[in-house]
Amino acid sequence: MMKKKSKFFYYQLFFTLLVCAFLIVPVIQSVMAGLTTNYIAGLKSGFTLQWFLKVWDLYRDTIFRSILIGLACLGCTLILGIPAAYTMVKKQNRFTRLFEELLVTPLAVPGLATALALIISYGGITNFRRSWLFILVGHVIFTLPFMVRSVIAVMSSINLNQFEEGAASLGAGFWNRFFHIAIPNAMPGILAGSLMVFTLSIGEFNLTWMLHTPMTKTLPVGLADSYASMRLEIGSAYTIVFFLMIIPLLVAMQWVAKPPKKKVIPEKNESLKNQSKDSEMEKIISSPSNEKSEEGRHSISGASLCLENCAKTFADGTQALIPFSLTVNSGETVVILGPSGCGKTTMLRIIAGLESPDPPGKVFFGDEDVTDIPIEKRNVGMVFQSYALFPNMNVADNIAYGLKVHGICGSDREKRVYEMFEMMKITDLRNRRIDQLSGGQKQRVALARAIAVRPRLLLMDEPLTALDAKLRDALRVEIDSLLRSLGITAIYVTHDQAEAMALGDRIVVMEIAKVAQIGTPREIYFKPQNRFVADFIGTINCIKCQAKEGQLIFPAGRIPLKNAPHVHAQENKEVEIFFRPEHADVVETGQGHFKTCVAASFFMGDHTRLLLDWTGTEYLTIEAKGNQSFKKGQVVEIRIDPTALLTLKV
Amino acid sequence: MITPALAVFVAFFLLPLARLAITSAAGPSGFKIYLLSLTNPRYFATLLNTVILSIVVTLATLMISGFSGVFLTRNNFLGKSFIVSMLTFPLAFPGVVVGFMIILLVGRQGLIGDITKSLTGQKVVLAYSLVGLFLGYLYFSIPRVIITIMAAAEKLDPSLEEAARSLGASPFLVIKDVLIPALVPGLISSGAICFATSMGAFGTAFTLATDIDVLPIVIYTEFTLLANISTAAALSIVLGLITWIALSVARAAAGNTVAAAG
Repeated sequence: MMKKKSKFFYYQLFFTLLVCAFLIVPVIQSVMAGLTTNYIAGLKSGFTLQWFLKVWDLYRDTIFRSILIGLACLGCTLILGIPAAYTMVKKQNRFTRLFEELLVTPLAVPGLATALALIISYGGITNFRRSWLFILVGHVIFTLPFMVRSVIAVMSSINLNQFEEGAASLGAGFWNRFFHIAIPNAMPGILAGSLMVFTLSIGEFNLTWMLHTPMTKTLPVGLADSYASMRLEIGSAYTIVFFLMIIPLLVAMQWVAKPPKKKVIPEKNESLKNQSKDSEMEKIISSPSNEKSEEGRHSISGASLCLENCAKTFADGTQALIPFSLTVNSGETVVILGPSGCGKTTMLRIIAGLESPDPPGKVFFGDEDVTDIPIEKRNVGMVFQSYALFPNMNVADNIAYGLKVHGICGSDREKRVYEMFEMMKITDLRNRRIDQLSGGQKQRVALARAIAVRPRLLLMDEPLTALDAKLRDALRVEIDSLLRSLGITAIYVTHDQAEAMALGDRIVVMEIAKVAQIGTPREIYFKPQNRFVADFIGTINCIKCQAKEGQLIFPAGRIPLKNAPHVHAQENKEVEIFFRPEHADVVETGQGHFKTCVAASFFMGDHTRLLLDWTGTEYLTIEAKGNQSFKKGQVVEIRIDPTALLTLKV
Repeated sequence: MITPALAVFVAFFLLPLARLAITSAAGPSGFKIYLLSLTNPRYFATLLNTVILSIVVTLATLMISGFSGVFLTRNNFLGKSFIVSMLTFPLAFPGVVVGFMIILLVGRQGLIGDITKSLTGQKVVLAYSLVGLFLGYLYFSIPRVIITIMAAAEKLDPSLEEAARSLGASPFLVIKDVLIPALVPGLISSGAICFATSMGAFGTAFTLATDIDVLPIVIYTEFTLLANISTAAALSIVLGLITWIALSVARAAAGNTVAAAG
């Protein structure tokens, strides 16, 4: 980065220093003038504090009044501005956008005009006009936009919705979320806005000069008076007082504006650690169900879930889900699997209570109709893809939050939090801040937080997507044994079929906006109901052939139909048949169904994946067992297991 | 939850402004007051004066701050953070204090006056003229604009510049094709704010302007000394409209960042 300083560098530096001098030399002059006996005679006349005493005598009321107005203005903008900013971030509609526009107009209208308008409208109310409240009103109008914008900027940058949904899933109501989640997390913005508002109010002159009366002079008004009195020394001393007041504010502003250092926490040895602790993990995870089986199981094992004719149409008319029904038994793990944008997250949000289904759709937990019950009353545990851990609390507080909301206190709460530490093996992390955790650790904390409240249902929205491959596998194993041992009803959303196969008792495969198939992993894999499911789960080959005289005939060979029970073909009609790569193999000459050329081969260790030339433009994928190696262009003979051949609906 | 803020805002800003507009037309000449104000040679000259002064100040500020701002973000050297804090210190000065600073610098007993007197025997006094006002507005605007530009320059992806250099662009071309286009939104928005504050700046002019006619001073005199309320109201509405239009145009051109700073 650092280069040799060129001549150009020094030109620039000189110019910048010149600008600096232009700004700072008069400041130094005023400081000297305020501290010397006689400005014209300069430093020789001696150092004195007499001018400050003069200022104190003449103007101290203006200083106090400015501070009073500044603090009152700060209070007003906080009370008015934070709820307004919050609403504007949360509810983005035409009305709030219009208000946002309106709110910045005081910045565009010169203070003079605003002041004139206020005097013409309210100057007649003499008591109001004569009090400092009149100035306060002007200051509030002028500074409110700064507060609102500063808070909006922070609130919209932190993904407030995610945190609030997290809090709601733990049972927190509106005010709890507002005071414990929204405000603490918007603190940098509130702080910056507060400093800005106070500083602006202290220094405001344009409005104040018009609005003040001889009885309500503020600091800048007093400054103007002192400058007009032509005593440079007093004016200077007074200016120094002003500097002394704003310097701490400026320093604080810079300190607040400094972005926090972003630390990248490496996932160091996490997977290794897991392996070494494997046996220990087994023990800990199984403990709730074995040792305290009765109590633990009883309190956690979840409710059954039933969705009846749930559909979702968004406000803009997009149909996110066409009506579907789903029943999940108590203790079952159901995985919702589908490509991105298929509506799987919408489905989960309907179950959670973050979205409501179009009428007449109904959601039941056990026998209870929860359709109209908001998420915070449903007692579900939710794990978000982006964790949604509250950055204003440490690990232990995050886990304890839901318990606190549920009114569990004292030693009970501590015990429950401790159990979670043990179960998720995060005892070492309990006092860490959230930004000191790695991705895998965050996900453990998020799981612990969701399980701690002993939810009726555990909902997980792509919880492993943000992690790297190795860690994902390790955590998947862990989640699996956790779900089994807790016996909790769980809904798990993912786009990763391997995850779905490993975790799900049953899988709901989603096609765009609709359910394509519901079944066990085996059913889904071996008996896909349509081409979408077959294609989405694993790899499948498709070949076109003719059914003729009890044979399936294709260009390179034939297969007897009587051996293929899952193929439904009409005589003399073209039919498309499907098979998985592992259902075909390379065989010795004479034993196969057809011969073809190798287009490419990929050695995978335990098998070799072959890409075979089928028609010149279409290829088949098969898995060759054994450790034979293949060359491009080599002719091989292939046998397909006829019992595995399928025909599929479009 | 937006209602309290909205209520205060309507009661103490929108309604008074409407009242101001009505007042402006309540004089004997009705809405013709606008025509009369603008065709009055004195008011018109004042308006023109103010607009030209504000444009010149804006351009000068952008050039000076752009140059120094980019320099400061791209170079690291000893004392840089000190220079930056010096440059941004006057950020919180109200207009009156800025006026006083200018008096100390180029006023009757100012530093420049002393220096020129000892060098040439002639005392240079600029503070109470249009030049003084220009310097005052410059003093007022430089810290604000420099901050915006430094923030924009910091966000610049250094790989853009490296890409341009890898393609053989000379330093001049890099500045012309990468740096300036990337800074344009920031320049437009901070320029618009600079223009608007210069148009409406009252404190600096009030401290300095013994005999300069700028719009805010004229409005003030009309209102307080001459009690010519409808003219004052009409002129302040004209002033408000000009600054509002400037900010809106900049906003349309630069995206939603204008008026983020004051």
